[in-house]
Amino acid sequence: MVNFTRRSTLGLAGAAAGSLILPRFSFAQGAKRPSITIAVQKITNNNTLDIWNEQSNVGERVFFPNLWEGLILRDWMGNQGPLPGLATEWKRIDDKTLELKLRKGVKFHNGDELTAEDVVFSFSAQRLFGTTQPAGGKTIFADDNKPVTAKELPAAIPGIGRRLWPALAGVEAVDKYTVRFHNATPDVTLEGRLYAFGSQIANRRAWDEAKTYVDWARKPVTTGAYMVGEYKPDVSLTLVAFDEYWGGRPPLAQIRFVEVPEVASRVNGLLSGEYDFACDLPPDQIATVKAVKGFEVQGSTINNHRISVFNTQNPILANPLMRRAMTHSIDRQAIVEALWAGQTKIPAGLQFPFYGPMFVEGWKVPEFNAKLAQDLIKQAGYKGDVIPFRLLNNYYTNQTSNGQIMVEMWKQVGLNVQIEMKENWGQIHDPAGVKGVRDWSASAAFSDPVSSIVAQFGPNGEVQQKKDWTNAEANQMASILETSTDAAARKKAFARMLEICEREDPVYQILHQNAVFTGMKSSLKWKAAPAFAMDFRSSNWAI
Amino acid sequence: MIRFIAVRLLRAMITIFAVVTFAFVVLRMSGDPAQVMLGPDVPQEAVDAFRRSWGLDQPLWIQYVAYIKSIFTGDFGVSMRDKASALDLVLQRLPATLQLTLPALLLKLVFGIPAGVYAALHRQSFADRGVILLAVLGFTIPSFVMGLLLVLIFAVILGVLPSGGQDTWMHGILPTVTMSIGGIGILARFSRSAMIEVMGQPYIRTASAKGLKWGDVVWNHALPNAAVPIVTIVGFMVGSLIAGAVVVESIFSWPGIGRLLIVSVSNRDLAVVQCILLIIAAAMVVSNLVVDLLYGWLDPRLRSNAAH
Repeated sequence: MVNFTRRSTLGLAGAAAGSLILPRFSFAQGAKRPSITIAVQKITNNNTLDIWNEQSNVGERVFFPNLWEGLILRDWMGNQGPLPGLATEWKRIDDKTLELKLRKGVKFHNGDELTAEDVVFSFSAQRLFGTTQPAGGKTIFADDNKPVTAKELPAAIPGIGRRLWPALAGVEAVDKYTVRFHNATPDVTLEGRLYAFGSQIANRRAWDEAKTYVDWARKPVTTGAYMVGEYKPDVSLTLVAFDEYWGGRPPLAQIRFVEVPEVASRVNGLLSGEYDFACDLPPDQIATVKAVKGFEVQGSTINNHRISVFNTQNPILANPLMRRAMTHSIDRQAIVEALWAGQTKIPAGLQFPFYGPMFVEGWKVPEFNAKLAQDLIKQAGYKGDVIPFRLLNNYYTNQTSNGQIMVEMWKQVGLNVQIEMKENWGQIHDPAGVKGVRDWSASAAFSDPVSSIVAQFGPNGEVQQKKDWTNAEANQMASILETSTDAAARKKAFARMLEICEREDPVYQILHQNAVFTGMKSSLKWKAAPAFAMDFRSSNWAI
Repeated sequence: MIRFIAVRLLRAMITIFAVVTFAFVVLRMSGDPAQVMLGPDVPQEAVDAFRRSWGLDQPLWIQYVAYIKSIFTGDFGVSMRDKASALDLVLQRLPATLQLTLPALLLKLVFGIPAGVYAALHRQSFADRGVILLAVLGFTIPSFVMGLLLVLIFAVILGVLPSGGQDTWMHGILPTVTMSIGGIGILARFSRSAMIEVMGQPYIRTASAKGLKWGDVVWNHALPNAAVPIVTIVGFMVGSLIAGAVVVESIFSWPGIGRLLIVSVSNRDLAVVQCILLIIAAAMVVSNLVVDLLYGWLDPRLRSNAAH
C-alpha cells in the first residue's frame, strides 16, 4: 500500500486543479492515484526533452518508456528486443524498404490522432536531418516537409541523426495509417533502428505551433503514458498521467524527477522519506540503504559494457603484442568482486544476448594470464617507457578506482602505465601530447552488432575518426555487416571482427558489464528494468 | 577625496578586466565545449557542426575581441545549453542564491559579532573559552561535512526538516544554517581579537579613569575603533553573497547561481561561466570599494593618509 505524503497529496491537488483549468486534456483524473518523486543525479544534459538532443543514460531514464514512444517499442522489462508499438505490424517490401501499419486510435497529448504525417515529420529534414544527405543516395520527399515556422535545429542534431540513420532517404506516407521507410542502401537492421533511442514519434502540429526549438523541446508532444507537466531545467521534471493513453490508464498521477547531484543527499532524501526512489547509487551505498527497514535496492546489469581503448599512434602501443599483453594483465573478476561486490559480470566480449542469432556463442574476453602477458611484453621488446592513461574522475561508476587497480595490475607484469587525470572529454581526446589508454563504454542501441562494434569501431566510428586505431580487414567486415543481407555472412563477419578487435589487433578491452542500482521504498510494487529506463506504466506498478 | 575614489575605481576596473580575460583564456584552454557538451559518443560531424555554429572554430584572439566588444554593448552572450541569454539565466538564479546568502549573512552578523565582543569583554572566562571553541569548530568544519551532518540529524533521524530542494521556506533552513556557521565563527574570532586589542589601548584606560560608565566606554570608544577589521571581514562576506553558495547549493539541491556555475563549468558553457564570474568579480570589487570608503568614515586618520 502506498503511503500518502504531504508531497503526494499536494501533487494530486495540483493535478486536479490542472484538469479543471485545461479540460481538453485528461490530466490525472484519478485522485486516488499516488504520485512519486525520484531523485536523479541529472535530469538531462542539454536542458531539453528532445530524444535527439539528449542521447545519454540520463535521457533514457526520463524518456522511456513513459514519455516517448516509437513505431516499434523496446521490451524494457524483458530481453530489450522489439515489441509492436505505434505500429502494429511491419513487412519488408525489399532490402531497402520497410512498410509499417500504424496503430489506429492512438492519441497525442494535445488530442491529435497519430497519422502517417507525424511519422514522416519525425524523420524529416526539418526535425532531424537538416541538410545532410543519406549515404549512398539522396534525400527524397524533402519538399513535403518544409517548415511552417522558422526553427533551427541545434547544430549537432543532424549529425547525430545520421549516426543512427546513415542511409535513410526518406519516409513515405502511403495512406493515413501506412508508412514506408526508404533506405538508400540495403539494410537488414531497419527494424532494429526503429526501436533505438531517437526513432520515437513526435506530433507535427506541436512542432509547427512552437515559436522556437527550445519551446518545443522543453514540452514535446508525444504519445506516451505520461506527458510533460512542468520542466525546470537543472531542477525538476514533472510528468503527469495521460488518461487517453492507448496502452491504458497510467497508474500514477504524476512522476516528479528532482535533480540531486550529490549521492549522499540522494540517499539521505530517500531515507528521510523525501524521495520514493534514489537513482544512480554507487555499489558502496547499497548496504547502507538495505540496512534501513522499509527500503531496498533494485538493480541489474544493463546493455552497456565498460571498456578501455588503445591508441596505436603511441609508438609503444603500435605493436599489437603490447596491446595483447595489456588485455591479458587484467584480472577482471577481481575488479568485479572488489568494486562491484560481485553485482555485475564479465560479458562475452562486445556483444549482448539480445543479439539472438547474431550472438557468437563461446566467445570470451582475453583470459587473465600474467605469464602470457609477460611473454608478450618480452617479445615486443618493451623497455619500460611510460604509457599514458588519460582518466576522468568517475565519469563512469568506480572509474578512478578501476583505473588505479588496472595500473597496478599492469605494473605487476612490468608495464609502466601512468594515470593522467583529465577533467572532460575534450581533454581526453586532445590531439596534443601522447595518448595511450583511455576509458569508454560500449552499448547496443538495437539487437545487432551494427549498433555497437561497427558504430564505435567501424570505419565511421569515433575511434577511427579520431585516428586511435584502424584495421583494413575489420573495416571490410564492418561493411559486410552494414550492407549484406546474407545472415550467415553477416555472422561470420561479426565473429571475425571480434577476433580482430579483441585478440589479434586489439583496439579495446572489455572490462565488465555495467550495472545500475536504484534505492526505493520497499512498499512500492515496482520492478527495475535491466536498463536506465524506469517503467511506470500499469504493467509494472501494482497498488 | 576625489583622487582617493578615482584610484580605487581604476583599480576596480583593472581587476574586473583581469578576471574577464583570465576566465576567457582558461575556459578555452581547458577543454573543447563541443566535445564536453555533446559527450563521448557523438560523431565528428556533429562536433564540427557545433563548433562552427558557436564560432569556436575561429582563432582565439578573434573570439576574445568579439567577446570584449559584446560586453561593452551589454551583450553577455548566449548559453550553449539553453540557447538563451546568459545574463537572463544568471539573473533567474540570483534570487534563489540570495534567499540563502542574505539570511545567512544576517545570522553571521547577529550571532558572530556579539559573541566575539562578549568573549573579549569576559576574557579568560568560561564563556570566552566556549566562544573560542565553538568559533574554531564552526570555521574549521567544511560546509559539505556540516551540511550532511545537519541533514542526517534533522532530516533523517529527527525527520523535522526537509533534506533538499526549494519547495517551501522550510527547505531553506538547513542550507542557511550550514552557510552561516562558518561565518559566525570567523566573525566571532575577529571581533574578539579586535576588541581585545582596542581594550588594551591607553584611550580606553583614560576613558575609564575619567569616570565614564563601562557601557559608554565600550559603545562609544571601543567598538568604533574595533570596527575597521570587522568591516573588512563583513565586506568580504557581502562580496561573496553571490559566489558563496556553490558547495551548499549542491548538497541541498538548491537551484541557485552556485549550481548553475558548477553545471556550466563542467559543460564549458562559456558565456554563462563568464557572465557569472563577471558578476561575482563586480560584486567583490564594489564591496571592497565600499569598505575602503567606510574606512575613511570610521577612521579619519586613513582619510588624511589618503589625502597625502
